[in-house]
Amino acid sequence: MQTLEISATKSSPAVHFDAQSNTLSIMGESYPENTAQFYEPVFEWLEEYIDSLQEQHVTFNMELIYFNSSSSKALMDIFDILEEACDEDKKIVLNWIYDEDNDAALEYGEEFAEDIESLTFNLVEKPLAD
Amino acid sequence: MNLYDYKQELDQEGILLSFSGPMTHEMIEGVGRAIRVKIEGGEDGDKKAALKVFSIFVEQVENVIRYSVEKDHVDSNMSFGIIVIGKKDGHFYIIGGNKIETEKQQTLESYLEQLAAMNKDELKVFYKKRRRAERSGDSKGAGIGFIEMARKSSQPLEFNFQKVDDIHSFFTIKITI
Repeated sequence: MQTLEISATKSSPAVHFDAQSNTLSIMGESYPENTAQFYEPVFEWLEEYIDSLQEQHVTFNMELIYFNSSSSKALMDIFDILEEACDEDKKIVLNWIYDEDNDAALEYGEEFAEDIESLTFNLVEKPLAD
Repeated sequence: MNLYDYKQELDQEGILLSFSGPMTHEMIEGVGRAIRVKIEGGEDGDKKAALKVFSIFVEQVENVIRYSVEKDHVDSNMSFGIIVIGKKDGHFYIIGGNKIETEKQQTLESYLEQLAAMNKDELKVFYKKRRRAERSGDSKGAGIGFIEMARKSSQPLEFNFQKVDDIHSFFTIKITI
């Protein structure tokens, strides 16, 4: 599968989905003008990738400083797709990465974690760079 | 022609931003970023407040863009409305307003009344429920923007509808963080 690479803009995150290394990442800020349109290729890629998965271990790193409410729904939809995959014994670990001083990002991560059952959802604190 | 008195008035009221006019996504990016930097770097240097104010600003401007009935004739992604950000008694507040069709008022009003009556735990449960629900027909966003705002508000939602003409009303909403 081709790598999905979307560059960050002021209001949309960088997406890097690499099927060779089984490493997926979404990083930055998410309040795109049209949320559904922005996340459409993300969902498409993800669904095809999950269908092709067998025994590989997948790491999904999500590092979002800020996201708006419609992105929050898109993220929940992503987690639901990953949950379903984990229910089918696919091996996916999600790292929710937040800056040490960003309490809001931690709280959002905790709330997502409460709604997730089979997906391994790690809250990973990132120390502030000096 | 002199805007000094007007500016003095805004300053005295603790108003950081007052904008009435066309709103676009680019405005969210540009003005929003400036406000965020200003609050982050202000005398309080409050990063948490900066992010909260910014997030309410984003939701409110998005609502104006989506739901204001005053739209640009050429660019349908441009709508007219008003937004004010200020600080009073140590609390930031964000007020947004736009013209709506009066026939939409009742649905919106009862929804906001429902949110205003909820405590933080109830809002959280409702937010999560709506986040997992399918997008509803009339809602161009996820339909959880107001819940998000209510959750970030330190006081119950304040809102108002004023009749403009036979078919239009002006909707105002204030969030105090």
